[in-house]
Amino acid sequence: MKLKNVSRNFGLWLLAAAVVCPLLEAQSSKPAPEPMKLKIGDVAPDFKLHYFDGSDLKEISLSQYRGKSNVVVAFYIFAFTGG
Amino acid sequence: MKAFQQNLKQLEAADTQVLGVSMDSAFANKAFADQIGVTFPLLSDWGGDVSHQYGIYVDQYKAARRVNFLIGKDGKIIEEQIDRDAIDPKKIVDACERKKLSR
Repeated sequence: MKLKNVSRNFGLWLLAAAVVCPLLEAQSSKPAPEPMKLKIGDVAPDFKLHYFDGSDLKEISLSQYRGKSNVVVAFYIFAFTGG
Repeated sequence: MKAFQQNLKQLEAADTQVLGVSMDSAFANKAFADQIGVTFPLLSDWGGDVSHQYGIYVDQYKAARRVNFLIGKDGKIIEEQIDRDAIDPKKIVDACERKKLSR
């Protein structure tokens, strides 16, 4: 009777390990870079954002450049980082 | 951002406006711009709406990925550089100059 309990517990532990270990592994390995939502040839969504020119907040929209110039929109992670 | 500044004359000569975007406040971005000598606007995507819209917000970092988009006069995306590739703007500069020559 006691022996049966031990073997049942062991079985439960094995089951738990089988479930948890792959999860841990998935968490520690780096996620593959996700494919980009916007593809080359897509129309870039318009935006209106602000910047501070030293005295005022100025607004810039992507659409204000339509038909006038190309635009590089460079997203960076945080200020004071490289690149 | 420094790298774009170094290539700014070339980009401007190829009819290209450079805009930096991060989720910092406009004021932090201005301090950053002053520190590294950037003269083009660094825009504040406070709250991350635009980063989400462009599909580059990473939950894990609570920040936007480093991505450069080159957008043409017609509003369409010409070039994308992602993560590590986005640090060197050469590809963007080349693409702009190619476009200029092809006109």
